[in-house]
Amino acid sequence: MNIQRLEISRLFHRFAFGPRPGEYAQALSDGLSLTRTRFLTIPTVDTGAASVKEPEITNLGKRPAPNSAEIVPFNVALRYQREQLVLWWLDRMALGDHGLSERMTWFWHGHWATSIQKIDYPLPMLDQNRVLRTNALGSFNTMTKAMLNNGALQFWLDGQDNTAKAPNENLGRELMELFVLGVNRYSEDDVKAIARALTGYQVDRNSGAVSINQKRRDTNPVTLLGTSAVFTGDSLSDFLVARDDCATFIAERLWYRFISSNETMPVDFAAKAGFTDRTIAGAVNAVASDAVMSNEKFAMVKAPVEWFISACRALELTPSQLKTPGQLVNNLDKLGQVPFAPPNVGGWPAGEAWLSSASAQYRITFAKWLVKQSSLSALTNIPAGSRVIKSADWLGVAEWSPRTKSALRASINDPAQFAVLALCSPEYIVNA
Amino acid sequence: MDTLTRRRFLKLTSGTVAVGATANLLSFDQIAQAAINRPLPAGTPILVIITLYGGNDGLNTVIPFKDPIYFSSRPEISYKAETMLALDADLALNPSMGGIKSLWDQKKVAIIRGVGYPKPDRSHFSSMAKWQTGSPERNISSGWLGRWLDSQPEDPMLAISLGSVLPPLLAGTKLSGSALPLGGLVIPKGILADQCTQLSKSSRSDSKLMAAAATSMRNLFNLSTSVQPVLASPAPVAPDLPTINGGNAGGDSNLSQQLDVVAKLIAAGSPTKIWSVSLGGFDTHANEANAQAALLGVVSASIFRFLNQMKSTTRLNDVTVMVYSEFGRRVRGNASQGTDHGTSGPMFLIGEKVKGGFYGDQPSLAKLVDGDLAVTTDFRDVYATVLESILKSPAEKTLGKWAGRTSFLT
Repeated sequence: MNIQRLEISRLFHRFAFGPRPGEYAQALSDGLSLTRTRFLTIPTVDTGAASVKEPEITNLGKRPAPNSAEIVPFNVALRYQREQLVLWWLDRMALGDHGLSERMTWFWHGHWATSIQKIDYPLPMLDQNRVLRTNALGSFNTMTKAMLNNGALQFWLDGQDNTAKAPNENLGRELMELFVLGVNRYSEDDVKAIARALTGYQVDRNSGAVSINQKRRDTNPVTLLGTSAVFTGDSLSDFLVARDDCATFIAERLWYRFISSNETMPVDFAAKAGFTDRTIAGAVNAVASDAVMSNEKFAMVKAPVEWFISACRALELTPSQLKTPGQLVNNLDKLGQVPFAPPNVGGWPAGEAWLSSASAQYRITFAKWLVKQSSLSALTNIPAGSRVIKSADWLGVAEWSPRTKSALRASINDPAQFAVLALCSPEYIVNA
Repeated sequence: MDTLTRRRFLKLTSGTVAVGATANLLSFDQIAQAAINRPLPAGTPILVIITLYGGNDGLNTVIPFKDPIYFSSRPEISYKAETMLALDADLALNPSMGGIKSLWDQKKVAIIRGVGYPKPDRSHFSSMAKWQTGSPERNISSGWLGRWLDSQPEDPMLAISLGSVLPPLLAGTKLSGSALPLGGLVIPKGILADQCTQLSKSSRSDSKLMAAAATSMRNLFNLSTSVQPVLASPAPVAPDLPTINGGNAGGDSNLSQQLDVVAKLIAAGSPTKIWSVSLGGFDTHANEANAQAALLGVVSASIFRFLNQMKSTTRLNDVTVMVYSEFGRRVRGNASQGTDHGTSGPMFLIGEKVKGGFYGDQPSLAKLVDGDLAVTTDFRDVYATVLESILKSPAEKTLGKWAGRTSFLT
């Protein structure tokens, strides 16, 4: 396989949400080095993303009593705002000129996986999304502190029920296991200790506002990972994020989501060294420049949202304009991935979990639905004679297999079917 | 197909399949044909696995209702003794589990107590991985039943999981089970179908994952000819489940629907030996008693109904249901009327062939290990017995050398 095509394809599909028509061919002619620099340099203004209007998400207040007159408008508003929230984010992903910030926001959403299924109210979820976007490539310590003060995360993991009188370990355990250190890098005594250090948080469900109730706080010193102290949320974050295990863990997570979910991370993977100062950009830049990027072994399955957004970009579609938003969410739900609703606190699965026969069928239905709504001009502008080969550039695919070429060749005179097949091909579902 | 056979088939599957003007009789005939052409041979054992995601609180499932430590450890989430369903002098079922209690009375329920594995891991994900891979000591990526599939001839119908995401349990190193969504499959037809079949061929240049993507599409077309119409219409909507409490550790929420579909497909003769279904919501860190009782009520009633549905078929004697969760919970309640992650818990095996009764020792509340229940039975004892006695395969291929067995079958 042509290594330059492979690496540039990986930049597009892993460090952004896929190329718009013409972008992959342009990047190939610009070369790897310039393209990589461009991917990693965050512009001051992203015109495309800025064109997406923020949704009006308001504090909906306390849920009215069942059967009351107020419950109907409340439910209508709740449903509408929840839908607007999802569409807004999908539009940002699909319309952004520079993909990395949004892609990292998406990565962190899967990392601090919080679901609106429990939070219910969209406002705390929007706040959390802002925290993740603001810090997406910044200081991981700042992000961790902000997340401990985020109402959605606190409520999701029962932080408001964690009191000095009897601690609730949910948040403390996941903070170490899933967010900062990684599993088995602490003892069960540490779980008990961190739960006590995190007592006293209170959450306003509707607004997501977080406060500390001193009366419910356990202010005795605890011994956590060998250090005795009275921790606050901030000092706890300083303490955990500074640990070597944190750098190992974040490198592992980047490996899992950017390089390979089924191969083991080599010990010299550059992300860890890149994360020495705990800036996320440092780690991500190191990943993008590591030798593993050109190793054919490390293919990645596109998660459903990634597949959908890259299809929208290729087909020049805007998610919120698709008919109808309800059908869009339904299609994503069938594939098993709707933004703001991860299945559990560990985030979405990866790799072969997305490759069931049920998903294969839903993907075909979804692709047909999308293709029907596109002008397909990027595809039909390619002369039929070179359509099979050049369609790889259109979609940012490194190389079509003989199998896929043969299926595409049979559909040269039916652009809609051609597009559906290309989007459902193993080479597009899986980023080589 | 003769009309009598088809009528019989329609009868067996009615309830999920809308028969009439709107139903696609041609493909319905095809599925009937396939299920009748190569039905599961009569008398072949069938395993139905129910995974409870989130860590089911075993102490509030099989309750030591005479033990004062039980009541003093969790005053806010213990049940009143008189509401519990006594199994013997010391243990009782959760008040919501009437269905399983009546099966117990018929000696069809084996309760294996204190099940777990060495060095309990209190992370949902690590612990579930240990249970599903069947390998608590070494991290591996294949599921224990996936490895069993590796040892069988390739057949996408051999092991089926309900829901669109395949649980690791059924992922082998070479072969995998199939996932079936509840809403049913609509398979492309005509030229697009031909081209999709072309796309699903394997190619020498495929990476491992691309090959898996091609296989999943190939299996779709294989599956579609046999079971698709049975699933064509959505099952009825299940009653609302408590997703607010304990709702963040995975699993589906419609167990009774899943088991309904499984019952219909077993009755139809689907050549499937393993069915996998799940229920989530057991991560009851807060306000546990009501939430868990509702969930266990669903588990109990769904299994009871499922086995009743089996009674009208020839397969009742072949079916064994196995229920497990990734861990039990702490003995002591927390401040939010809930419990935090713990260690061992009970497993249930239910069916006509099951020798009802208790197996394994009940972990003592007086002798806790690091404040948690002891593990008295290794889950591999149960798995080995399942492999040998239900799937009729050597256990060693799947689990390595493992001596323990639990003789819960007659």
